[in-house]
Amino acid sequence: MKTLCDRQELQDAFAVVSGIPPLKSTKPILQNVLMRAADDGVTFFATDNEMSARSALSSVKVSEPGVILLPAKEAAALLRELGDKTVAIQAKDGRCRIECGGGAFDLLSPDASEFPTEPSFTPEVEVEVAAKVFQAMQRMTSFAVAREETRYAINGLLLDFVDGCLRMVGTDGRRLALAYANLPSNAQRARAVVPLRALQTLAKAVPGDNDETLRIGFGKNQMRFTVGSIQLISQLLENRFPEYEQVIPKAAESTIEIDRVELERNLRRVAILASDDVRMVRFKFSGNELEMTAESSNVGKARQTMTVDMKGKGGSIAFNPDFLIDALKVCELDVVRMDMTDGSIPAKFTLGESYCYVLMPISGT
Amino acid sequence: MNARDDSPNAAGSIRVLSAEVVNQIAAGEVIERPFSVVKELVENSLDAGALRIVVELKDGGRELIRVIDDGGGFAPQDLELAFVSHATSKLSVLADLDHIASLGFRGEALASIGSVSRARIRSRRPLDPSGHEIGCDGGAIDELRPSGVAPGTVVEVRDLFFNTPARRRFLRGPEPERARIEELLARLSIPRLDVDFTLIADGKERLRLPAHETLVERAARAFGPRLADHATAVEVRWDEYRVHGLVGSPDLARRDASLSLLWINGRLTKDRGAVHAIKAAYKPFTMHGAQPVHLLLLAMPPSSVDVNVHPSKAEVRFLEPRRACGILHEAATQGLRGHGATAVAGGAVGVAEDKPRAVTGFPDLPRDLFGRTASPSPPAFARSVSEARVVPAAAPNPFARLTERPRFLVVDDLYLVLEIEGGLCVVDQHALHERVLYERLLRQHDARDEVLVQRLLLPEIVEVTPTDKAWLLEHQDELAAEGFLVDDFGGRAVAVHGIPAVLRKASPKRLVESLLAGDSEGSARPRAREAVVERFHSMACRAAVMAGDRLGEDEITALLAAAATLDHPHNCPHGRPTVLRFSAVELERFFKRRTGSCGVG
Ligand SMILES: Nc1ncnc2c1ncn2[C@@H]1O[C@H](COP(=O)(O)OP(=O)(O)O)[C@@H](O)[C@H]1O
Ligand SMILES: [Mg+2]
Ligand SMILES: [Zn+2]
Repeated sequence: MKTLCDRQELQDAFAVVSGIPPLKSTKPILQNVLMRAADDGVTFFATDNEMSARSALSSVKVSEPGVILLPAKEAAALLRELGDKTVAIQAKDGRCRIECGGGAFDLLSPDASEFPTEPSFTPEVEVEVAAKVFQAMQRMTSFAVAREETRYAINGLLLDFVDGCLRMVGTDGRRLALAYANLPSNAQRARAVVPLRALQTLAKAVPGDNDETLRIGFGKNQMRFTVGSIQLISQLLENRFPEYEQVIPKAAESTIEIDRVELERNLRRVAILASDDVRMVRFKFSGNELEMTAESSNVGKARQTMTVDMKGKGGSIAFNPDFLIDALKVCELDVVRMDMTDGSIPAKFTLGESYCYVLMPISGT
Repeated sequence: MNARDDSPNAAGSIRVLSAEVVNQIAAGEVIERPFSVVKELVENSLDAGALRIVVELKDGGRELIRVIDDGGGFAPQDLELAFVSHATSKLSVLADLDHIASLGFRGEALASIGSVSRARIRSRRPLDPSGHEIGCDGGAIDELRPSGVAPGTVVEVRDLFFNTPARRRFLRGPEPERARIEELLARLSIPRLDVDFTLIADGKERLRLPAHETLVERAARAFGPRLADHATAVEVRWDEYRVHGLVGSPDLARRDASLSLLWINGRLTKDRGAVHAIKAAYKPFTMHGAQPVHLLLLAMPPSSVDVNVHPSKAEVRFLEPRRACGILHEAATQGLRGHGATAVAGGAVGVAEDKPRAVTGFPDLPRDLFGRTASPSPPAFARSVSEARVVPAAAPNPFARLTERPRFLVVDDLYLVLEIEGGLCVVDQHALHERVLYERLLRQHDARDEVLVQRLLLPEIVEVTPTDKAWLLEHQDELAAEGFLVDDFGGRAVAVHGIPAVLRKASPKRLVESLLAGDSEGSARPRAREAVVERFHSMACRAAVMAGDRLGEDEITALLAAAATLDHPHNCPHGRPTVLRFSAVELERFFKRRTGSCGVG
């Protein structure tokens, strides 16, 4: 194998896959990235058995097709440091030689025939969405995903495609974030829980200003994401995601409209005095006033009022302020709408044209 | 006085238990060594209302065990039945099993003893002009004979296991046996400050516990002065429940549980739930696996506790485990705070509800042997608590009397060496800071007037074993009071609807598992609290300055000032010591300044 690549394109394509190999593995060969040079270009492929990714580069001259393994960590670090316009990569006596400028680097390269092959995948349902839109939805929901390992079913984001609408749901049992997008598609319903890690890898691989289309293929136990020359296949989490629709309050006794910037600023301020063990800020609505209070017996007390626009009788409800701030950070609207009934049932926040957030209160027993 | 016709001085008060009752009662353990003989005999004497008990041993009890008491004695016709199996005066109908407050109730001890030794009982009731005696030689019972004996009862057991040589060969040497018997008497004596105990072995007095000393004094004699010096007296009352006793400082904790002692209605018990409740209070102050030292006595209505769960009577079943364990936890906690002494001294200490008993000599009237009153010895106790004031609270806070700008030396950016009243000490900065942060968190938590719950949007469904599920549901209210909202979810599952807001980051499933980590008996509250306290441990540990962090002078001064207000300055929340003290006396001793021979004065 012998190639000459554009350095920038090489770095980008390699970075798409280089985060996938496991740092620790009983199967050390997985810590490599497979490079395949063919007449039509070069591809990189890496896998950790749970997900795999492939990327390609086209600005490349292949003088000798072939396959070679590159140690993911070292190669990625090395490629990042290269400065010249072009990089030559070739196989040489069980090594992979990288040459750039005046430098020559020989990396040990295990036998590529041992490396897992790319999984075959046939989607049952495939939908298309603008990559930008998908990424925005992901930003709006992924922070709410449960991080502990025990709650298996909700350690991922739910992708639920129903009636021409793609919904993305993240929850950790204390809050739930739902974003959706209407897609021109007449495909059947499809539903999958995708591990967060796969989506994070995807988000890293696709630049934010990307105008391309993302194709989402729902399979039986797998899911495929395709953008341009990048393809990512991930195993799915057990499809035991809770019935999220039941959790979203349908009606509320009070509806409050609040200026988002002011709310976030005030809440951050008050939250400083929420105690470190029980993080709690109390919201009290009466008339057109919102009063936020927090208290920490070790630090002090905070009280902040602001004007809001309320319909209904108001009342009092307490939240973990961090949970609300998380969502306000990705809020798209200038005016946030909050629907609440009382301090013991969840409140619903409308934070975007197609984005809502449900927050469970803290209360006495 | 008790009007029942089976009171001891009424004729024929010993009855043969009906087969039904016999079967109901778990089979008793056998007499296997001198220790068990002494235990049965002394318990009988206590049941008979003795106020003075002498135990004599020869050759560690192999040659002779003699127990002399001044109790109510046997009626002659009862004495005739004494060596008959299942003869007991202590219960006769099934329903009585609910009201057991006396130590022995199986009616087989004397029969078993008589069958494996040459035994003899001489007994005279206080009001009778003379007494009687009966012997039993390897199970063969003599005829009843008149006997000249002082009021009370003398039981002699000679040549134990003479007719079962195999068992005799297995007996341990006299010395360990004597030691165990001494420990036994010490334990039996704690709930009975009104009783005088003596142990004589091969003609030498080995233990003497005079009546009417305070609990502290008795504990000092029975278990050694170290325990008494490092314990706090406590008393807690909740309605009909009362706990009193001594809570040893965490420094006393040992590898074995031989001084983790709890009596329920005067009976020593190892009940796991109850013991767990006490241990939970100690947990922040002791190393993992260390056994706390405490002498705690729980008095409660006899009908609220079933002592007949285990043949050796070591376990009990509470009607209201939450209250029983709750009050024990509370008592231990108070004791550990060192508040015990003041709380007791300031509280209502009077002789309270129990009727006074004759203190010396023999009672003029038959006494209630049936233990319908739960707490054994109020007059002596009342004195012990009033004198509890003088018990030092579990070691004073060494930082309490530092000057405003104490002088110190920093070693390795880890240890602080400073002068304190009466000596000097070395402080582990991480451990001490951790303790400071931990107590702040705990105080903040305890100061809240409501338990805050982070409710769950979606209940977490957790599969558990049927026993665990039953336990969770049985303790639902208790758990809710600590912020765990748990509900039945059908099948083997429970649904968790809310968790304590302090544990907001934890997985509800893990939390349930940690609640279930103990055994399935016992109280839920201490365990629920443990989960909370555990989180404070790790919060404090993460936030504390580390070994190697260089602290400024102001920071150290502030740390020491904060340490002065600690409830428990001596250990980090994980139980590691925070401070090593050298008293002036220790320093003097080390430098041999006490001898005066160097003219150092
Ligand atoms: N020291 C004693 N003084 C008076 N009565 C006694 C004494 N020891 C035993 N008894 C009587 O003998 C009975 C049988 O004793 P024991 O075999 O130990 O059975 P239990 O103690 O279970 O009743 C007791 O119920 C009690 O009435
Ligand atoms: Mg007995
Ligand atoms: Zn520690």
